[in-house]
Amino acid sequence: MERIITRFVTALRERGIRVSPGESLDAVQALTFGGLSGRESVKALLRLTLVKNVNDIPAFEEVFDRFFSTGQQNTLGLDAMDLLTALIHIVEGEQLKAEEHRTREKDDPLLIVDEEVTAEDLENLLAMEESDDESAGAEIMVQLDGHRGKMEAPSPSDYYMKSPPTVAFQPSSSKPKVAPFTPEELADMQEVVSRMLVRIRKDVKRMKELESRGKLHVIRTIQKNYRHGMVPFLLSLRRKRKEKPRLVVLCDVSYSVSHATRFMLLLLHTLQNRLMHVRSFVFNRELAEITPMLRNMPVNCLLETIDRGDIVNLDDNSDFGNVFVEFKKKHLENMRGKPAIIIMGDARNNYNDANEWALEEIREKAGYMLWLTPEERETWHRGDCLMELYGTFCDRVEVVRDVDELSRMVEDLFYTLYDHHDTRSWKGRHREQKDEEPQDYRSYYTRKGGAAPAFDATVRRQW
Amino acid sequence: MITELEVKDLLRRGGYIADETISTAVFLALRMEKPILIEGPPGVGKTGLAKTLSEVMDFPLVRLQCYEGIDEGKALYDWEYGKQLLYTQLLRTQLDSYLSESADLRAAVERLSAEESLFFSRNFLVQRPILRSFLSEKRSLLLIDEIDRSGDEFEALLLECLSDFQVSVPELGVIPARNRPLAILTSNGTRMISDALRRRCLFLYIGYPEFDREVAIVRSRFPELCEGLALQMVEFLRKARELNLRKPPSVSETLDWAQVLSILHTKQLTPEVVANTVGVIAKHQADLQQVNELAAQMMG
Repeated sequence: MERIITRFVTALRERGIRVSPGESLDAVQALTFGGLSGRESVKALLRLTLVKNVNDIPAFEEVFDRFFSTGQQNTLGLDAMDLLTALIHIVEGEQLKAEEHRTREKDDPLLIVDEEVTAEDLENLLAMEESDDESAGAEIMVQLDGHRGKMEAPSPSDYYMKSPPTVAFQPSSSKPKVAPFTPEELADMQEVVSRMLVRIRKDVKRMKELESRGKLHVIRTIQKNYRHGMVPFLLSLRRKRKEKPRLVVLCDVSYSVSHATRFMLLLLHTLQNRLMHVRSFVFNRELAEITPMLRNMPVNCLLETIDRGDIVNLDDNSDFGNVFVEFKKKHLENMRGKPAIIIMGDARNNYNDANEWALEEIREKAGYMLWLTPEERETWHRGDCLMELYGTFCDRVEVVRDVDELSRMVEDLFYTLYDHHDTRSWKGRHREQKDEEPQDYRSYYTRKGGAAPAFDATVRRQW
Repeated sequence: MITELEVKDLLRRGGYIADETISTAVFLALRMEKPILIEGPPGVGKTGLAKTLSEVMDFPLVRLQCYEGIDEGKALYDWEYGKQLLYTQLLRTQLDSYLSESADLRAAVERLSAEESLFFSRNFLVQRPILRSFLSEKRSLLLIDEIDRSGDEFEALLLECLSDFQVSVPELGVIPARNRPLAILTSNGTRMISDALRRRCLFLYIGYPEFDREVAIVRSRFPELCEGLALQMVEFLRKARELNLRKPPSVSETLDWAQVLSILHTKQLTPEVVANTVGVIAKHQADLQQVNELAAQMMG
C-alpha cells in the first residue's frame, strides 16, 4: 500500500500539488485506521490528509479518478510495451514497417507515428533551433547586434516607430481583446501582493510604535495597572491619531496599457480596507467609477466586464483632456481630505484638447500626484503624447513596465503617504533599504537614465 | 474504538447531518490525534461541528476566538503579576527573617535566587484556552475559531502546540498535554493560512451542502415543517446561491428561514412570502431585490 500511495503522491506532485513526506505518511496511517471500505471513503481519507488547499481539490479529484480508474487499461488505452518499441524504433533510426504501423493505428488512433520520422529528421529539427549564424537572415542579426553587450530587455518604447509590416503582426490596438488573467498569473500576482503586504504591515507596525512614543496617558496607565496594585508595570502613552491614507486611481483601460491597469486594480484593492482607502476609476473616452464593483466582484469577473466594454466604451480612443474635465466636474468636489492621485496611462491624447487647466485644478486639491506611464521618456515628445505637458503638474512621473516595478512604485508611494510626518530615523532606514533594492529588479536600469535600445525584437514583452 | 459510521451516527444524534467527508475527518482526527483545519464560506457549520462534537462526545469545549493582535498571553498562558506581587507583600516578614541570616547583600541575592522557582511556579500561571485544554482532566475539544483573523506570528505560535501538544514556558520548561484535545481550527479563508500550519492538520473543506443533505438538515431541526415546503425552500436557496449575491445565503440562513416559516405556519412558498421574509436570507440592500426577482421568476 505504501508503494501505491507514494506513486499517487508523485502523480499529485506532477500535477502541481505540494505534498510533503509527512503528509504521505499521514495518508498511509489514515488508510490503516480507516480501512479500504469503499472508493469514496478512501478518496475522502486521501483528500483530508494530502490536500491542504481548496484550490487543489479539483486537481486532486482529477488525479484520483485517473490514477484509480476502474478499468485495467491506462487512460490513453496504450500498451506500455508497444510505446516502448515505437520509441526504440525512432531512436535507433529504424523505420517502422508499414503494416505494423497500420495495425497499431487501427488499435489506437491516439498514437499516430509518422512513418517518415527518422533519427535524421529529429537531428535536423534540433539543428534548426540552434542555428544562430548568418543563415537565419540578416535582419535578425542586425536586431541582435543592437542588443549585444547590453544587459537589457528590449523596451516597448518604439512601438510607434515600427515599420508598418511589423506593426501589423502585433495585435491591433483598436481591438481590446486581452484574455483575463490565467489562474497562474493571478496566483503569481497574489503572491507579489501578499509579499508586499507582509512587508508593509511590518513597517506600519513599526511606524505605529514610533508614533506612540509620546506623552504619558496618566488615566489609562492607572487603569491598566490597577491589578498590579498601581505599580506602573505597563505604560500607556497618548497616541497621535492618524487616518488611513486616501488614494484615488485613474486607470486608462485602452489596449496600450490594459495589462498594467489590471494589475494595478488588483493590487490596490488588496490594499484597500486594510491599509488605505482607495477609489478607483477607469477611463477611455469617458470616466467611470468602479470602486463598488471591485468590492463585490472577483477581480477576474470585473476585468471581463471591462473587456466587454460594459463600463466604458473601449472602441473609442482615449481622451485624457476630456477625462480630467469630467473628473473635476463630477468627483473632485466629493473627495474627502487631500487624496493622493495616481494616474495610469500613456498620455496619448489622440489629438484631442489637452485641457491641462483641469489637471491643474485637480493637482491643487490633491495631496500628491503621481503619473505612471508604460512609455519611455524618449518617446514622450513624439506624436500625440502629452506626457511632457501633463508631467509638469505632477509631483512625480514614473515609467513602469512590469509587475515588479509597479508593485515597488505603489509600495514607495505608500511609504511616502504614511511617512508624511514621521520620524527621521524611519526615513533613513527606508532610504537604505531602497538603495539595496535595485539589484533585485531586473529592469531597474531605465531609472538611471539608460538609453533605449535602438531595435526591438519583442515589442512589449512585459505587458 | 469508535468507527466512522458511529461518528456519523453520533453527529446525527446531536442534530448535525454530516456527509462522508466530514465524518471521516472527525474519525481520523480522533484516531490520529491530529487537528482539523476547516475552511469554507461563513455559515456552513464549521463552528457548529465543533459544538456538536463537544456535546455528543462529552468533551468539554474550550474555545479560543482569534482576532488581530492575539498573542500568547491571550492564547497560551500568562503570569499573574498581581498575585505574585501580593505574595511578596504578604511574605515580606518571612522573607526578611529568611534573608537576615545571610551575611551580605551578595549572599542574600544568591539565597533569594535559589528560591526563584517559588515565584515562577504553576501557582502563578494563568491558563489561557490552549493550555487549559491541554491540562484538562478529561479529553477536551479545543476550538480555535476564525484563525484567519489572527496574524502570522500567532500561527507560528500554534505550530508547537498543534504538532506536539505541548507548551513551552521558558521559566518552567515544557508542559506536555495531559490529555490531547481534539483540536478544530476554522477559517473563512480571508487570509491564506501558512503551509506549515496546514501540514500539521487534516484539511477539511465544507462547502454548501448537496440538495439532499440540506433538506435533511432542515428536516432534522424543524420536523414540524412540511416536507414539500422544505424541498421548495432548499431548492429556492440553491438557486439564490447561483445569483451573484454579495452575501449568498448559507446553511445558517436556511435554518433561520426555516424557523421563520415554521413560526408563520407557512404551507407553501409564494413570492409574497419570500418578499415578507426576505430579510432573513439576504443581508444586503442590493441582494434583496435580486432575491425577490428570483422568487417572482420561480413561483410567479
